[in-house]
Amino acid sequence: MEQQPVISVHHLTKYYGSALGVTDINFTVNRGEIFGFLGPNGAGKTSTIRMLLDLLRPSSGKITLFGCDIYTHSVEIRRRCGYLPGNFSAYGNMTGADFLRFAASMRKADSRLQADLIDRFQVLPDNLAQKVKHLSHGTLQKLGIIQAFFHQPELLILDEPTIGLDPLMQEELYRLLLENQRAGRTIFFSSHNLPEVEKVCQRIAIIRQGALVALETLAGLKKKKLKRLRFTLSHAVPDLEMPEAELVSRESLDYEYVVGGDIQMLLQRLSTLPIEDLTFPEPDLEEVFMAYYRKEA
Amino acid sequence: MAYFHFIWKSHRSFLLFSMVFVSLFQFLILKIVTTFDYSAVIKFMLQQLPDDVQSMLGEGFLSLLTVNGAAAFGLNHPLVLVILSIGAIMIPSRHIAGEAETGTLELVLSFPVKRTRLLLNLYLSGVVFLFLTIFFAVCASLLSIHIFHQLTTALAVKMALIGCNLWLLTVFIMSLTTLISSFEKEGNRVGIRAAGIMLVFYLLYYLSTLWKALEFTRPFNIFTYYQPEKLMSGQRSFLLNGGVLSVLILLCLFAGMIQFNHRDIPG
Repeated sequence: MEQQPVISVHHLTKYYGSALGVTDINFTVNRGEIFGFLGPNGAGKTSTIRMLLDLLRPSSGKITLFGCDIYTHSVEIRRRCGYLPGNFSAYGNMTGADFLRFAASMRKADSRLQADLIDRFQVLPDNLAQKVKHLSHGTLQKLGIIQAFFHQPELLILDEPTIGLDPLMQEELYRLLLENQRAGRTIFFSSHNLPEVEKVCQRIAIIRQGALVALETLAGLKKKKLKRLRFTLSHAVPDLEMPEAELVSRESLDYEYVVGGDIQMLLQRLSTLPIEDLTFPEPDLEEVFMAYYRKEA
Repeated sequence: MAYFHFIWKSHRSFLLFSMVFVSLFQFLILKIVTTFDYSAVIKFMLQQLPDDVQSMLGEGFLSLLTVNGAAAFGLNHPLVLVILSIGAIMIPSRHIAGEAETGTLELVLSFPVKRTRLLLNLYLSGVVFLFLTIFFAVCASLLSIHIFHQLTTALAVKMALIGCNLWLLTVFIMSLTTLISSFEKEGNRVGIRAAGIMLVFYLLYYLSTLWKALEFTRPFNIFTYYQPEKLMSGQRSFLLNGGVLSVLILLCLFAGMIQFNHRDIPG
């Protein structure tokens, strides 16, 4: 029997007045999967996430979580979810401990797991005694992570969860995600950071300007992922043509290409050129998106 | 209960201040105003004033000089109305629109709680706090009358009715703020709008007592349904006041609930 997806989104569209938020989004997320949702700021990631939790109401389309309609079974579904909002904020006048108590009273939190998470993310007793408004952004983010995980939800929806965390804590979070995946939980991981999504996710959706431009496995995405190539020649070469690469800019003897295919042929060609300087800068996400557009076109 | 506790903790300084201030104000006004019998002197002075000035001072001014009048006046003093209104406006504006603005509403609504239930918890917390503030104020009035004058059952009943009427007025202000909040995502803007609407009603009511041309506005003015001096003297029915205010409260609350259920968070 085919397994029912945990998240199923069909033709999701959201308008804010006349402005378009997201348009005709379709994807499914399977049980036990870490699903990356990638896109630049303002692409529609948070809007999509808010619709998954019935915080925003779609203009059209349908969302089912655990096989139930999000609108009609909202409370039941949210009981089975953990959520870390982007730009997580808590009540400023509460202490860290008060906030966790408050959140635990709204959910059936596992106090042992909560203590374990406090320990893992190195939230100090002093931090817990401080008012939330006086906490650093990183500590606040840790509280957000704890409240998202401490009731062992079947589905975790995390919106930019590593923002504000130092590299050690980021690694701790990745470990926690993988442990939860091994325990059979599903994770919806939204980010604008391609390398971190590559680290933990099996499948990745890319959203840009409100539309889903790619839905790939990690292997598929890597295959398609383009690189930038920048080099300077010592003297001009007539009819410079590069295999599997597309010229982006040229200034005198400085050339910039986007490389999309077999790198072997390209290296062979480069070895024949009078190159003075050569770099392969990491493309930013926007370039990956642009490359996607070019490729699809 | 967790939410009730949370609201209390968020506003306890102001709520405690308003409870103490309003109660103390009632206690002292009944002690001071009625300690000396200077009504004859004041009446004489008033008669020397032009008619317009006499009318500006209001019908209830002379009655203020009696125990009943002072008891009613205390619960209608602008300072008392302002403090109670701040409490009534602050809770919904801060916890609905204000939290939509800061992002905490998004977090709370990701918990397994119905929007309606969250709104009602918040609303009922406000209703209870307003009730307690006014309850203590009425108790302080009765205590003052009992200590410095003579408390009768009839007076106690009238004070209780005035207290209920004031409570309904403040609950209406809170309901209206809840309705405005359910559309908005900025707490301050909601507070300014709700306070502005109340101020316009108050000024219009005051002007309608001065100019006959504005008398037609009275049935549509919320302050027509809270006149403690008239309740005390039996010129006005509590049932009428309470009935009108209750209907308006329910209308605002239901409209606010429907809108809150359908709105986008943060909006």
